[in-house]
Amino acid sequence: MSGTLTILKKELKGFYFNPTFWVICFLISVIFSWVFPIQLNLFSQLLTNYVMQQGVPSNQLNIHYGVFLRQLSYLNLLLIFVVPALTMKLFAEEKKLRTFDLLLTSPVTSLDIVLGKYFAAWGAVFGLVFVAFLYPLSTSLLATLNWTPLLIAFAGIFLVGGVYAAMDLFASSLTENTIAAYIISIMFNLSIWFIGIGAEVVDSEAGRKIFEHMSLSTHLSALVEGTIRTNGLVFFFSVIVLFCFLAERVVESSRWR
Amino acid sequence: MIQVSDLTKDYGPRRAIDKLSFSVNKGDVVGFLGPNGAGKSTTMKIITGFMAPSHGTASVAGFDVFENPIEVKKRIGYLPETPPVYADMYVREYLRYVAALKQVPKDKIEKYVDHAIEKTNLGEVQKRLIHHLSKGFKQRVGIAQAIVSDPEVLILDEPTVGLDPKQVAEIRDLIKALKGQHTIILSTHILPEVEATCEKVIIINKGRIVAEDSIHSLATMEKGHQRLHVRLRKDVSDLKSVLAGVSAVTSVTLGASQKEWSIDLAGGEDVVESISSLIVTQGFGLLELTPAKRDLEDVFLKLTYGQESKGGAV
Repeated sequence: MSGTLTILKKELKGFYFNPTFWVICFLISVIFSWVFPIQLNLFSQLLTNYVMQQGVPSNQLNIHYGVFLRQLSYLNLLLIFVVPALTMKLFAEEKKLRTFDLLLTSPVTSLDIVLGKYFAAWGAVFGLVFVAFLYPLSTSLLATLNWTPLLIAFAGIFLVGGVYAAMDLFASSLTENTIAAYIISIMFNLSIWFIGIGAEVVDSEAGRKIFEHMSLSTHLSALVEGTIRTNGLVFFFSVIVLFCFLAERVVESSRWR
Repeated sequence: MIQVSDLTKDYGPRRAIDKLSFSVNKGDVVGFLGPNGAGKSTTMKIITGFMAPSHGTASVAGFDVFENPIEVKKRIGYLPETPPVYADMYVREYLRYVAALKQVPKDKIEKYVDHAIEKTNLGEVQKRLIHHLSKGFKQRVGIAQAIVSDPEVLILDEPTVGLDPKQVAEIRDLIKALKGQHTIILSTHILPEVEATCEKVIIINKGRIVAEDSIHSLATMEKGHQRLHVRLRKDVSDLKSVLAGVSAVTSVTLGASQKEWSIDLAGGEDVVESISSLIVTQGFGLLELTPAKRDLEDVFLKLTYGQESKGGAV
C-alpha cells in the first residue's frame, strides 16, 4: 500500500503543479463566468414575473433546479471532454516514454500502480468540481441556499467524475498513443449515457429494469435532486471497481505478454 | 546471486532467446555481450521481472523472479535502454520518488539520494528539470535511479550508449567504483567497455550463449597463435615464398600495399626472431614489426559472426 501512496503523491503533484491543469481550470471558470450569471439573471427575472407567466413548472421556481442543476449538466458535459485530457497521460505517456519500465521493475504490485493513479486522477477531478462549486458558493452571498441538496448534487457529479476517471484510466492503459487514449476515453464517457436508451426498446419488464439500473442518468438524477439511494452508490462504485480491475489486468498483462 | 536456467522467450514465431543458462556470483561484474538483436535486453528484462519468459526460470538472491517478484525487485536496480526519467520532474525530486518506490525507509531517503547524486556527479543539476538536461545527464540520472536504493544487484542495459567519450569514461569509472558493493550485469555491444569494467563475459548470439568465461581466458583462448604486422621499405611481390622455410608460419597475407604484410604463426618468440632476421638478411628494409594480440574483439567476431577479424586490428 505504501506504493499506492508514493504513486498517488507523485501523480497528484504532477496534476496540481502542472500549468496545463490550471489552464483547464481557468477555461472552465471562463465558461461558468459567462453562463452562470446569465442563468442567475434569467432565474431572477422569472421570479419577479412569475405571476404573469402561465405554465411555468413549479420546480423551476427553486434555485436548485433553476440554476444549479443546469450548471451541473454543463459541468458534466465539460467533464466528459476534460477528464480524458487529464487521464490520457497516466499510462499511455508512461508507456511511450518508457518510464513505465521503472514502475514495472519497482517493488510495487499492479494494483498499487492502478490505485495510485486512479485516486490521483479522481483528486484532479475534485479540483475541477471545486472550481465549479465556487459559483453556487458565491451565490450564497445573494440568496439563502439549501446546502444539503446542493452538496449532495455536487457529490453526485464528483462520483460521475470518478466513473469517468476509472473508464478513462482503463482507456489510457490500452494504448501508448495519447491521442488514441483520448478518443477512446470520450467514446467510453459518452456511451455510458446511451446505455439507458436500451430501456425504451426492450419489451420485458426485467430487461427494462436492467437497462434502467445500468443508466448513469437514472442514478445521477436522484443524486442531483438531493436524494442518496444506496443502489445508485452501489452502481457508481461497481463501475469504478470494474474499470480499475480491468486496468489492473492490462498492467499485469504486460508482465507476461 | 543470479541463477538463470533454460530461459526461453518467444515473440510470436520469433525466438528471442533460446535455453539460456548461466549464474552470476555475489560481487561479480559480468559483461553481457552480443551483437544488436542477440537477446541481451530480453534476458535483462526477464531477470528484472519486467516480463515473463516462455519457458525456464530465473532467480535473484534465492527468490524466483515470478513466484516472488516483489522481493526480487527490492534487490534490483535497473537501467533500461532508455533511461526511465520523467521530463517534468526535478532531478532530486525524481530520485526521491524512485527511492520511495523502491521502499527505502522514509528517514533514509535523503541520505540515499545524496549518495546517488554524489556518485553520479549530479550535484550541479540536482535542482533542474530533467526536461532541460542533455542526453548524457539524463543517462546519468538513469544510473542514479538504478543505484539510489543501494540494491544488491545492478542491471545496466547499454549504460554508455549515446554519450560523448568523456562521459563514457566517467560512467566506466563509476561502474568500477561500484564494483564490490554490488553484483553488476552490464549489457553492451561495445567491447572496450567490457574489457575496461568486467571480470567475466557472457557472449550471446541469436539467443544462445556462445561463450562464458573470464576475459583473460577468452582473450588468450588461442594461446600460441599470434599474428605479426610487418612494414617494409621496399615492395616485396611474394613474401610467402621468402618465409616458406619457416615451418611455424601458417599464412602470409598482403596488407594495404606490397610494403605491408601480416603473418600468422604458431609458435613463440624464437619464431618471431627467425622471421625478422630472415627479412633483414633479404634486405627488404624492415621498418616495423608489431605483434597483434588476438584480443577480445577477434574472439567476439569469431564467435558471433563465425569469421576472423580482418587484419586483427590493434
